[in-house]
Amino acid sequence: MCRLKKILIANRGEIAVRIIRACRELGVSPIAVYSECDRTALHVRLADQAYAIGPSAPRESYLRIDALIDAAKKSGADGVHPGYGFLAENEDFAAAVRDAGLTFIGPAPEAIETMGSKTAARTAARRAGVPVVPGTEDPLAPDVPDADIAKAAAAIGYPLLVKAVAGGGGKGMRTVADAADLSAAVRAARSEAGAAFGDAAVYLERRLTRPRHIEVQLLGDAHGTVLPFVERECSIQRRHQKVVEETPSLAVSPALRAAMTSAAASVAKAVGYTNAGTIEFLLDEDGRFYFLEMNTRLQVEHPVTEMVTGLDLVRWQIRIARGERLDLDPDQLLRPNGHAIECRIYAEDPDNNFLPSPGRIQQLRVPAGPGIRDDSGATAGLDVPIFYDPMISKLVAWAEDRPLAIARMQRALGEYLVTGIKTTVPFFTWLLAQPDFQAGRFHTTYLDEVLKLRNGRPFVEPTPAIEELAAIAAALEAVLSPSALAADASDVRPDSPGARLWRAQARAEGLRGL
Amino acid sequence: MQYEVEIAGRLLHVTVTRAGDGFAVSVDGRTRQVDAARIDAHTLSLLVDTVWSKEVSMATDPVNGQLAVHVGATPVIATLNGRRRWGRKDEGAGAVSGPQRLVAPMPGKVVRVLVKSGDQVAARQPVVVVEAMKMENELRASREGTVAEIHVREGMSVDAGALLLVIQ
Repeated sequence: MCRLKKILIANRGEIAVRIIRACRELGVSPIAVYSECDRTALHVRLADQAYAIGPSAPRESYLRIDALIDAAKKSGADGVHPGYGFLAENEDFAAAVRDAGLTFIGPAPEAIETMGSKTAARTAARRAGVPVVPGTEDPLAPDVPDADIAKAAAAIGYPLLVKAVAGGGGKGMRTVADAADLSAAVRAARSEAGAAFGDAAVYLERRLTRPRHIEVQLLGDAHGTVLPFVERECSIQRRHQKVVEETPSLAVSPALRAAMTSAAASVAKAVGYTNAGTIEFLLDEDGRFYFLEMNTRLQVEHPVTEMVTGLDLVRWQIRIARGERLDLDPDQLLRPNGHAIECRIYAEDPDNNFLPSPGRIQQLRVPAGPGIRDDSGATAGLDVPIFYDPMISKLVAWAEDRPLAIARMQRALGEYLVTGIKTTVPFFTWLLAQPDFQAGRFHTTYLDEVLKLRNGRPFVEPTPAIEELAAIAAALEAVLSPSALAADASDVRPDSPGARLWRAQARAEGLRGL
Repeated sequence: MQYEVEIAGRLLHVTVTRAGDGFAVSVDGRTRQVDAARIDAHTLSLLVDTVWSKEVSMATDPVNGQLAVHVGATPVIATLNGRRRWGRKDEGAGAVSGPQRLVAPMPGKVVRVLVKSGDQVAARQPVVVVEAMKMENELRASREGTVAEIHVREGMSVDAGALLLVIQ
């Protein structure tokens, strides 16, 4: 079978670049799509062809199923890779690709639909004999009396979470510590979920105290084989968003690994899952684990798994979509070679409450050398647009063991130079030096707790010697390039032409997008 | 040539004179020999006192005119010759008196205004939530005070630099 000679990548930024790389290595022709503000983006420059799909706002471009299918047909592509985010977990998109006679590089729409509903996914897990966090089996009906909700809540026990059935990213989620706050929390979660996902359904779930987030990567082929990989730990989260991922986990013994990976595989088999997916678990302090949810797509953190197994997951996604068999040694996937850590580098200002820091990248020099991988979609001269997720790259370090991987990541962070925008590099420099991080003493709320205690102190405070050098450099810059700085100097008021131009641009883009 | 460079609220007096192939640079009276070579439009390679080798990259913030100086990979925010005076009152650390004007750091949509006119706020208390780049971002008061003016309401789109509220 020689299908999939030309693949349309229905995504942008670093993941589009990542998929283009896999295509190149397989001799597949990669086709890019782009919104207005991505005309010059790296993924457009690296692809064989690129199709404009609309204005910058996601719902007018990267979320437009019709425009994407149209581009795929025009390009002559025979397959579509959704990447992650945007339409990657949208069963209507997967079905539209299939209906257009193209191959969707991912699971069947039916599997996406089943696992996309949190309550349906919990039911599937329970049926497969995998424990789920205690909670209500079905969504709460919109007209259910408060007294009945209170009864269900009492049976689950406090503290508990009110969660959106269609949820993700912490939206439509409320923690309730006390029965008195329950009905207000249910109302708030319903309204937030309705606004964010177009689905106001919520359910109740016990809130574990200080759990760790452990997940299992899977590949399933079209011939009934499902293979689990060594676990990833993603407990370092800020406001429910992963920021550091690693594999293997310090908290997982060989026996626990065997139990979690076989539980994950049985959930996937129960829903006839194919292609790449991930089962997420919460690991309680007492060593018990519970099914949390399934992500029916490639994960942002897939590189750490690739680094310790030597496999290319995106290449396998394409091979599985071609109908090839997973002829891999299952034991190899569960025996990590060394340790890998990923830091998500965001265009955010960590010293200003992690506010987004869009704008033009003036300079970019990424780390290299032994054991370092930087999966990026950014280049100098490119703008980080305000419309999309502000992740600019995934920095991954591999070494023989965890302490060496941390040292290598610290070395790489010291080489990472980005000017023109702010990034989370200083935050990671601080985090990796924390004794708790180095000892693996953390859980899913660890980071939010320590950040609160820091109360906004800068993550990297320059030494007096560094400040002296900065002062010397600033003065020398004025001496060596007086004209450049003079132009800057006259141009620093809010009503100056430069600032005005920048803000007019931001306004034109911003109002359309939001 | 004399310059004033402000770093972290501290004013450093820098004097630069040509000396041989390089420069004699004094910072607050302490003089060093500096060999400076330009690498590209944004980068200088410095050899200080002949052996202390550092690469320095510079970028000017188009909104507030501050110079972001990267010494190696360590960013230092510097202001040359007292430029960027207008923006200082929006700044947390530097501002100690006068009204605090909270501005939008990026274009976005106001999703929540968490305070009312006349409210007392504590330092670092979240006051406005602006959605941008798929995230809800809490903007905080830089120090305690009373909310004097509110210039936005929920659902409003704002530009970068737009005045959101004033805290006295």
